[in-house]
Amino acid sequence: MARSRARLAAAGAAVVLTVTGLSGAAAADAATPSTGSAVITNDATFLAQAALKGILVVPLQPAAPAYDSTTGLTTTFPVTGGAANIPQFYGDVNLGGGLLFVNLANGKSVTFKQLDFHVDTWQINAVPVGGTTPVALLDPAGDNVIGRTGTTQNLSASSLQVDAAGAQYLDAKLGTSFFTEGQSVGSLALTFTQGS
Amino acid sequence: MRKTAAKLLTVAALATSLATVASGTALADPASLPAAQDIVGVGSDTTQALLNQFSTDYNATVAGTTAPRLYSWDATGTSPITTKTGATSIARPNGSGAGITALNINTSATVDFARSSRGPAATDPTTDDFIAYAKDAVSWAALGTGGHAPANLTTANLKDIYTCAVTKWNQIDPSLSSATIKPQLPQASSGTRSFFLQAIGGGTAVTPGACVTTGVQENQGSDPVLNDADILVPYSVAHYIGQVYFGKGSGSDVQGPLTIRSVNGIAPVDTVNKVISSSYAATAYGRVVYNVVRHAEWIATDTHGTALRAIFGPTGWICKSGSADIKSYGFLPLPSFACGSATHS
Repeated sequence: MARSRARLAAAGAAVVLTVTGLSGAAAADAATPSTGSAVITNDATFLAQAALKGILVVPLQPAAPAYDSTTGLTTTFPVTGGAANIPQFYGDVNLGGGLLFVNLANGKSVTFKQLDFHVDTWQINAVPVGGTTPVALLDPAGDNVIGRTGTTQNLSASSLQVDAAGAQYLDAKLGTSFFTEGQSVGSLALTFTQGS
Repeated sequence: MRKTAAKLLTVAALATSLATVASGTALADPASLPAAQDIVGVGSDTTQALLNQFSTDYNATVAGTTAPRLYSWDATGTSPITTKTGATSIARPNGSGAGITALNINTSATVDFARSSRGPAATDPTTDDFIAYAKDAVSWAALGTGGHAPANLTTANLKDIYTCAVTKWNQIDPSLSSATIKPQLPQASSGTRSFFLQAIGGGTAVTPGACVTTGVQENQGSDPVLNDADILVPYSVAHYIGQVYFGKGSGSDVQGPLTIRSVNGIAPVDTVNKVISSSYAATAYGRVVYNVVRHAEWIATDTHGTALRAIFGPTGWICKSGSADIKSYGFLPLPSFACGSATHS
């Protein structure tokens, strides 16, 4: 048992290191990157239910978690690139960092990198480490409010929901039946200023 | 013989009358005065036929005699209009801009929403919510047979034409006619007009030159003024697809002798799938169409706010059940989670 935990920790650490290295390389490639951030305010109910099932969701650098007694747990993903016209519903917003999902009950895990808000389909896609095909993970949903202040575009979504494809992928990789289409993981506040 | 002819005429007249009524069900003003609690809209020409279809199909799902129903007044027709029971009589708003103005200077006793084929502008009150539900695009159209216009124009060409920097076709390409170009624009309140002028200006609206004629009703290629070898006019791609491929035009609301053309080498219509070309929709000529509501009413928890969201909201009828109507009128549905998004200026 202790050996299994040690293996899990080692695997998790290795994954974190790998993803950190990849995101660093991607950021170095961007000459004049777009700026902004995607802030996910985590749903406490979702986190509690996931924890009860032994599922951990870990944001990977440069994504940054933070806690505030008023807003709760938030995770900020920096914008690293992309070209998008959110009010016209097209383009892409690239996000730095990654997401690690771990099932503590069986030691299975999956890590996603290359997070991208594909505005045309209104989905946040991410590429699993070791793969090349993006998976639609999350959908900004509920009440979406879109605005523009100068050159900065804004989107707030009252709910950030697990996409059907994401739920299927996560359950298959983690050996769970926890994830469902439309499951709310929190809310989203995105700001995006396109680079030149 | 004379009696047979008279009978034929009677039958033809009856058929015409029935056809008018039938098409009028989907493509006309409300058949009877809407009730005070009904949700009533005015404005855009481009989306009026689609909203009329929404009205027919949504109202078929509403039970009870007092539940709010959806109605939409066309952009053109007799004026003034009384939009619903107890409403103030108003001049009929023709176009997105006029519809939004009517929304802002009246209360929900007269206008509940404005159809808009343009997005929010800096001049719009921040208290207006533009509720998105479909995608369209704008291109330009010209005489299909015997016209002098080329198959494609660039954004720079269009800007030159509408600022009158270029006035003859052969200034664009020496192989073209030396005839004088006759650029046309829809009337001033048209959302299609304002969107087009902004698109050809690269994001900053172009001021039309003195060579430009203003005033044609948008998306009506049947206008005799447009039956000219040298005209060009902005045209809603969705409206054109609805007219040409899905039989949604009627009366003067048809493409007539015009055909829609390319911009920057990109064809606006995917003629195989009979939809707006995805590559064209992703250019500056792609646009979103909206219904505009007052923010305070949109977020209200009373009967009126509930009715607005039941029709236009993210989980409302248009977003959940309106996709077939949207496609059949040539528009592209937004992704399900994006539909019902509120956009501010």
